Amino acid sequence: MTLFWQVLINGILSGGLYACAAIGFSVIWGVMNLINLAHGSMIILGAYITYMTTSTFGIDPFLTLPVSGCALFILGFLIQKYLINHVIGGSIFMTLILTFGLDLLLINAYLLIFSADLCAITPWYAGLGWEWGNVKIPYTRVGAFVFAIGLTLLLSLFMNRTKLGNAIRATSFDKDAASLAGVDVFKVYAITFGIGAGMAGMAGTLMSVIYSFSPVTGEIFTMKAFVIVVLGGLGSMPGAIVGGIILGLAENFASVLLSPGYKDAVSFFLLVIILVLRPRGILGKRFYAEVRD
Amino acid sequence: MDDTVFEKRAKEELVMRNVRKVRRIRSKIYSWVCICCAPLILLSISSTLKAEDIVRFGASLSLTGRMATEGRLVKDGYDFYVKHINQKGGIPIKGKPYKVEIVYYDDESDPKTAARLVEKLIVEDHIQYLLGPYSSSATFPASSVAEKYRVPMVEAHGSATTIFERGYQYVFATLNTVDQYTGGILNMAAGLKDPPKTIALINENALFPQLAMDGGEQHAKKLGINVVYKEKYPSGTKDLSSMLAVVREKNPDILLAGGYTADMILLVKQAKEMGVKPKMFGLMLGPTLPGFVNSLGKDAEYLLEPIQWSANMAWKDDVFGWTASDFARIFEKDFGYAPDYHPPQSAAALLVYHHALQKVGLADPQTVRNAIADTDIMTFYGPIKFNEKGMNIGKSMAVIQLQNGKPVVVYPENSAQGKLVYPIPYPH
Repeated sequence: MTLFWQVLINGILSGGLYACAAIGFSVIWGVMNLINLAHGSMIILGAYITYMTTSTFGIDPFLTLPVSGCALFILGFLIQKYLINHVIGGSIFMTLILTFGLDLLLINAYLLIFSADLCAITPWYAGLGWEWGNVKIPYTRVGAFVFAIGLTLLLSLFMNRTKLGNAIRATSFDKDAASLAGVDVFKVYAITFGIGAGMAGMAGTLMSVIYSFSPVTGEIFTMKAFVIVVLGGLGSMPGAIVGGIILGLAENFASVLLSPGYKDAVSFFLLVIILVLRPRGILGKRFYAEVRD
Repeated sequence: MDDTVFEKRAKEELVMRNVRKVRRIRSKIYSWVCICCAPLILLSISSTLKAEDIVRFGASLSLTGRMATEGRLVKDGYDFYVKHINQKGGIPIKGKPYKVEIVYYDDESDPKTAARLVEKLIVEDHIQYLLGPYSSSATFPASSVAEKYRVPMVEAHGSATTIFERGYQYVFATLNTVDQYTGGILNMAAGLKDPPKTIALINENALFPQLAMDGGEQHAKKLGINVVYKEKYPSGTKDLSSMLAVVREKNPDILLAGGYTADMILLVKQAKEMGVKPKMFGLMLGPTLPGFVNSLGKDAEYLLEPIQWSANMAWKDDVFGWTASDFARIFEKDFGYAPDYHPPQSAAALLVYHHALQKVGLADPQTVRNAIADTDIMTFYGPIKFNEKGMNIGKSMAVIQLQNGKPVVVYPENSAQGKLVYPIPYPH
């Protein structure tokens, strides 16, 4: 029974982080119909920013969240404004190629700057945690989970309650109508990409506390983001949380009940099932997922 | 009717126009390519003319991708030899010194790409002497290509026994093969006063880790240690915590894990989080790699690793006249970090060629292959002598334990630098 609770908690805790890693990807995809293949690399950049700030100033990794968030927001804003906005009207392949190129560029830049060595951040409380019977709940994972869910909810509030958030949502529903209503569509796109990148950066910070990373670890997160977004529903914030936690639970239970070797098989099997039974995702609304030209 | 005919014609006209346009552009491109390439071709001809007194080796390496950390160490090892032999004027072969050059390609840590690049090295670059890639997974297909073209490959980082059990004639390895990896740790464990009784084995689902842990299972059974858990996890996993929760329930005395550095850092971190407390904790790879101890801090304490080489071993080569510790010192001066076993193991592959080429000259690949098979030399990496399968039977493995963040050789006793800490004290 201990094992059951342990695996359940592990699944939920890693699921929260998955959700945070996927949400930026989901927003960018949902609003602009743009699949950002460089998403994983942006997460890794966030992790490196945290690594550099903690090792230089000796501050707690969780305190670097605003630093990585702001840095990535600015980077994302500039990338969208000066690069992607030029091709976004064209075919989807153009944006795929552009973000793929961006991904390669970022990875190789990291290799030059940070070298291929693995990094991991080990704060003093790493490895410590609450013990509940024989069930261990590590502080770092709880911290990452709380911040991840908190940030995702904050983003959800921002999208639903602020003027800018409404402008972004309006643009995602119908960009021509939004433009007629006075929304500067390209500016909204730049801000949206900035928000997506900023979320990726903060997910990177949270990830760096738990996992080890190197310039090439990003692709795993891009893959996971794909699965989560499709599971939860495109562009839906609660969907990302649900999708993330389902993926986390599926992976963890598969590795205990079947064999750790099957965990990826199980999560992708789940993806196929969802695509067959409910193509718009568990909490997806039809409108977000419609492909526009 | 008329409309459709008209439309059809218009379409045809459009298609033809496009075809003509494409043709025009294509011929333009061809002429530009020719103009641009002419100087390049001239250059390459002149460089091959000059290249008479150069020996060229070729290698495909994991310079990017998930094994980039290890791949870079291998390249530095190869480059170390190249730098110092060229400083001495080159390899003296039949009274004439030959400079050394290595053609590198990056296989992005992908075995399929490695095999393709080795073929490119042989066919396009006309390389007659091959060096190995990084990892067993890449060496396995790459050595098949070498065998196909009958070009010798002296490899330094494919330790899977299966590489040598295919009856190949052209592949040789400077390192000890994987079946000997767990032997040191388990023999040491069995010789303790209060020997451990149970063992758990975890590995990444890849060639080298799998064979290492299979070897560990067999060896443990032979020594009467009970295997309570043995599982593999898929490559690229970011979360091992639930697997480790199961290990905790089994409460093994020894925990052995096989995988590459990224996973091993993760494993050690999450083992602590999950409260796994083995009396003995060994990894097939990691503790001696640069960055490992920095990443884990005190959590890396007391980890064991079987090693091919350490700087305090009493070995000395006759090409440079350097001992293992000389190698470490000079390497650190050149590359800015203290070498683990990867660089000397790589440099030793070139020493094998060095001796073989001195014996038979810049002969055809088959003759050089025969000279390599007769190798019996001493290097700063240790003695090298091949059996009929191409495995190095000259040396054996040692075991280190991380103590105060430094690797300390604890086994075998005759080259030990310190005493094994057993059982591991918790918390540390």
